[in-house]
Amino acid sequence: MMAEHEREKLLADLGRQARIVAGREIYFDWEGFFWDPNDWNEEIARILALESGLEDLTEAHWKVLRFFREYYFYHGRAPMNRHLKEGVLMSLGAIESLFPGGIRLGARRLAGLPNPRSCF
Amino acid sequence: MKKVNIKVNGRPGQVVVDQNQALIDTLRGVYSLTSVKQSCDRKGQCGACTVIVNGKAVRSCLVKIGDMEGADIITVEGLGTPDNPHLIQEAFVLSGAVQCGFCTPGMIMAAKALLDTNQDPADEEIKKALRRNLCRCTGYVKIIEAVKLAGRFLRGEITPDRIRPRPDDPKMGVSHPRPSAMLKACGTAEFSADIKIPGALELAVVRSPYAHAIIRSIDASKAKNMPGVAGVMTAADIKGTNRLKYIIADRPIICREKVQLLGDAVAVVAANTREEALAAVEAVHVEYEPLPVLASPMDAMAPDAPRIHPDRPNFCYKQPIIKGDADKAFAESAAVVESAFKTQINHQAPLEPEASVAFLEGEGEDTVLVVMGRSINIHLHMATLQEALDWENIRYEEAFSGGQFGIKLEIITEGIAAAAALHFKRAVRYIPSLEESMLITSKRHPFDMNIKLGADSNGKLTALALDAVVDNGAYNSIGNVIINRGLHMLSSSYYIPNIKAMAKLFYTNNPWGSAARGAGPPQMHYALECAMNMLAAKLNIDPLEFRLRNSLKPGQTKATGHVVQEWPFPELCEAVRPAYERARSKAAARQNGIVRRGVGLGATAFGIAMPGDKALSAVELGPDDCVTVYAAAADPGEGNDSMLSQLAAHVLDLPLTKVRVVTRDTDRTTAAGPASGSRITYMVGGATVDALQKLKSAMDQAGSKTYEALKKAEKPTRFLGEKRAVEVAPLDPETGQGPSFESQVHAVQVAEVEVNTQTGEVKVLKMTTAADAGPVINPQNLTGQIEGGADMGVGYALREEYIAGRTKDWVTFKFPTMKTAFDMETIIRETPRSRGTLGATGVGEMAMTSTAPAVINAINDACGIWIRELPATPDKIKAALASGK
Repeated sequence: MMAEHEREKLLADLGRQARIVAGREIYFDWEGFFWDPNDWNEEIARILALESGLEDLTEAHWKVLRFFREYYFYHGRAPMNRHLKEGVLMSLGAIESLFPGGIRLGARRLAGLPNPRSCF
Repeated sequence: MKKVNIKVNGRPGQVVVDQNQALIDTLRGVYSLTSVKQSCDRKGQCGACTVIVNGKAVRSCLVKIGDMEGADIITVEGLGTPDNPHLIQEAFVLSGAVQCGFCTPGMIMAAKALLDTNQDPADEEIKKALRRNLCRCTGYVKIIEAVKLAGRFLRGEITPDRIRPRPDDPKMGVSHPRPSAMLKACGTAEFSADIKIPGALELAVVRSPYAHAIIRSIDASKAKNMPGVAGVMTAADIKGTNRLKYIIADRPIICREKVQLLGDAVAVVAANTREEALAAVEAVHVEYEPLPVLASPMDAMAPDAPRIHPDRPNFCYKQPIIKGDADKAFAESAAVVESAFKTQINHQAPLEPEASVAFLEGEGEDTVLVVMGRSINIHLHMATLQEALDWENIRYEEAFSGGQFGIKLEIITEGIAAAAALHFKRAVRYIPSLEESMLITSKRHPFDMNIKLGADSNGKLTALALDAVVDNGAYNSIGNVIINRGLHMLSSSYYIPNIKAMAKLFYTNNPWGSAARGAGPPQMHYALECAMNMLAAKLNIDPLEFRLRNSLKPGQTKATGHVVQEWPFPELCEAVRPAYERARSKAAARQNGIVRRGVGLGATAFGIAMPGDKALSAVELGPDDCVTVYAAAADPGEGNDSMLSQLAAHVLDLPLTKVRVVTRDTDRTTAAGPASGSRITYMVGGATVDALQKLKSAMDQAGSKTYEALKKAEKPTRFLGEKRAVEVAPLDPETGQGPSFESQVHAVQVAEVEVNTQTGEVKVLKMTTAADAGPVINPQNLTGQIEGGADMGVGYALREEYIAGRTKDWVTFKFPTMKTAFDMETIIRETPRSRGTLGATGVGEMAMTSTAPAVINAINDACGIWIRELPATPDKIKAALASGK
């Protein structure tokens, strides 16, 4: 029989979890990605950044985050790295180093985009 | 080698080839005539490679090119082109006979050979002429109609222009030809194996001969030095997680330490030709240490059973449903029935075998790994491959897809092709045989069920109890979801106030289960709908009346406690009543003697849009004033291209010539979720309508439908649309209570069968399906799904079963044929759904969900026996007759 903690984790894997961030109830998925990209705002991004170890979001960070959101809401999908690089005129290495967790698990999550695996 | 003079599609010439080469391989390989399809491993079982040789239909896999001296050969490319099609090609398109399109060229050539000698064939003559051509999508109904229509065209009785809908005709409720249909009818649609990549390496895979074993060592030194071999890769060469994860990361692309399943991949050989790759596979030496094989959930739950996956127990998931007090209700019931039912492992059986290609595009850190296959969830599969291979820049393109029926919810050959393209830094093709494709793909889960159903003296259902043990096979995939889908739809069309159910899922070393048309509900409906008939008989109530009396009503709850708002099932029962009574009347006279006739019912309320479901779609008005829909709505044959284009033309009031759809490329589409769960019309169609309405609003504000006017009015020309299921919560883990599917497609089916009590043979005479999926967008697409689903359901009920290592081709699988085809009638009701796509919901899986119990109930009606284990083979029928049960 499956251990209870394994079962709980499995159930959590399939669902969403609510947290209060900046006074608002926000739903996140099993890997901390936004359930609804429309819940995002800059204040929430700052708090999540702080939690991830980023003391301050610089203009370079905002440039990446804004590009992610503009691209997503225009195309209905996240940008590939090559599109991101072209869009923000920075090297991939530079973007990766800006965010704890890199592009996929850091920047994308802070930008409020859904999990790459959310189309299950 | 031999020089052979042949005329191909009117062009005389000569070819110098190995005289023993099959004609199919010359036509595909030398002449690039890729309409000539390969499905059955060149055994002449499928007819997909049918061409005309000297006026006769010939399966080109069965004849050698060396015997073709002087032959006049015609393939479908020689008949017509999309711009100038042949009348037979027109007839197939206009009849809705083209779904996935993989069988279509062969069907058309067989039809041409017939019509060349007989322009007015009867149904039986058509069935005889096309008896060697297989189709999994249509149930053959529309193919027979197409041949008859082609005859009318050829006889000059009518022209295609007279019956072809015009682009500016009404868009809703009209069978406009699918945008892709003529490409498929003319053989210009490229399926994965048709993609031209000169110089690509061919892959072959070393696969485990054991169902459970430790890999002690792999020695590929001899293979690497064989002619044409570029290299051999193993799991160690994959840089990412090497795991293809849905819920649990348990399925490797290539196994590293252990194999869990007969046919698991152990090493991959790349060579210049497929023959060289296959030869090298034989030279790879793998040392295995066999482990005990867990062949059933019983084996897997034994206290001393070894773990199939060392990091997790074999008992991998359970979900109960507790609604009301079932024990008390049973005790107070006037009648209770109880029975056990068992279903088989089954293959989804798309006609196209597995096939994928992969290559690298571009250079440096921008290099893109391009994967082409037939995924039905391209964005998720791209994300999965990104993790599994640790390669970020991936583009997935869906080739034309020769059916899928759930099988392509999974990454299968794509994982190996993509990994090999990265490792060898070369373009690769992985085109396994049908036998290998059957071995390596997911299957329909087998269920072992005990059911108990009670009713009061008024014939109202009081309680349901169900215990289901489900064999997940070696990999979890979406096993949890399969269980949950079955439980969400457990009470089907009915109101059952008290329910006690438990479904448990176990790993075994059997073929792994995943999506298969219906995915969970067909198994549970078999038990429920047979129990409904058993209980109706015990109460001496007519089965239709019993179903009608127990219909759920708006305001009442499903098995999960979810309150429904709309439930047009009683009206459907009334709609089918005349056909049901006619069938009963015909059968009444034939219930004695050797061949007995019976009538059976099956019903379903098939759920669509699970809690948490969401989809995105984008629409854009271009400078040419055409509108393009961008959404990853895979179309392995259902007609999603016509659904999306008809919605766009309807909402914007544009002719269809002003609409395009882009659905098959991760670089151009929105992430719209899988083409599974009958969700595309409801979810992706709904998101598309949302986007279209935004565009329409901008057009209204600009006072024009032109790009120029929108730009001048400073309006956007592209809009993103979204659809989300209102509910998001999962079922309660202890009670199984919680929100359920947002919409239902309803169906009642009447099966009419003949049972030969001496041979045990069952012949389905007719299936009548009454269905309500809301307002119909494209009638041919709707009936095409219902007819194909019913045909698949009958196969599931009577013949089909997958046995690993024994089911190796279409004959051993018992693929449905023209010979097993039966009459079909469809009765449509169109109750608008409150959150439907212009009122419509989906339809893809519903038809097969209630078919098997309808057939089994009809067998019971004919001769009084219950078949409690699918499929109902002649041996089981005879055994049941002999035992009198």
